[in-house]
Amino acid sequence: MLGTVNRILLAVAGAVLLAAGVVLLTAARPLKGRAEPLLSAEDRRRYLHADGWGWWVLVAALALCLLLALWWLLSQLRRSRLREVAVDTGDGAFAVLRGRALSDAVAAEAGALDGVAGCRVVLRGRRGAPALRVAVELEPHAVPADALAGLAGPVLTHARTSAGLPDLPAEARFKVASHRAQRVS
Amino acid sequence: MTATRFRSARRIPAALVALAVLGVAGLFLYDLAAVRADRPAMAWRRELARRLEVHTPADLAVQLAGGALAVAGAVLLLLAVTPGIRRILPMLSPERDGEAGAGPPLRAGIGRRDAAQVLRDRAMEVPGVRSARVRMGRSRVRVRARSHFRELEEVRADLDAVLAVGIEELGLVHPPRRRVRVRR
Repeated sequence: MLGTVNRILLAVAGAVLLAAGVVLLTAARPLKGRAEPLLSAEDRRRYLHADGWGWWVLVAALALCLLLALWWLLSQLRRSRLREVAVDTGDGAFAVLRGRALSDAVAAEAGALDGVAGCRVVLRGRRGAPALRVAVELEPHAVPADALAGLAGPVLTHARTSAGLPDLPAEARFKVASHRAQRVS
Repeated sequence: MTATRFRSARRIPAALVALAVLGVAGLFLYDLAAVRADRPAMAWRRELARRLEVHTPADLAVQLAGGALAVAGAVLLLLAVTPGIRRILPMLSPERDGEAGAGPPLRAGIGRRDAAQVLRDRAMEVPGVRSARVRMGRSRVRVRARSHFRELEEVRADLDAVLAVGIEELGLVHPPRRRVRVRR
């Protein structure tokens, strides 16, 4: 979600900068030509001297830019860790499940898998659309594909059924505990 | 294939661009308000207006500025389009057919360094290998091993077989091609 917004806005900013650069390099349309000044005093007075309603439009546009940029900046700083999710209990009511409880349960279960040395789980996303992110640390001689199968099979299915979120998206990143090479002799 | 690739949220470039827009818009807004309140425009604006009158697109400085703007724009476009997170290799999500309500598959990946470490451990188990260095790329893996006994060709063949199994057990979406070099 944030990624999509960021990418669209970055693409817009990039396109604007690229267009400005190309115009400067080629002295194309808004500029008058290779030997003419970039913005003569006469043009500046005619087009950029804003007064009356033009001034208000300019100020409003700048203020809008300012507010949008501020919102965009602040949304980068926010951590998307989820504190709680609503669980449909099936009788028309909802229960609130703490994010920590769910992620601790998943971490405990995943940590018990063969070859898993440690596991950190966080619940991310929004209240209505939570997502699991699992960081698994493998033991040195574990088989990553097997650990993944264990995680995707029993652990994830259990988490989904017990939280009542059958479509809970999940993401796992595997690491290996750093260690020195050892020769078997 | 692309669906399984991890995509960066691009927080840092976004924050930098947001900061730049914030700064420029804030500066202009402040100065506009100051001029409206009958205070003199800030020096940089008069300087900017003077320079725009003097310089033409033929000037070197203008050409350089245009080039810098174009490059910056191209970089931002590239950041917007490419997925990023090249240090994590996507893993095949295991098939789970037959299970009712299994939900969407687990998206998984393993770090390139971590995968290299797994392969190095495998390589060290081959008899005759004294030390091994593994460099994991996104589409190929280079293994350099030193051997201290056995025939080099035998060690090479064993190492190749062990690495083939090792790469398979990483469970990657795109198993890398391997290049093995064994030296004495």
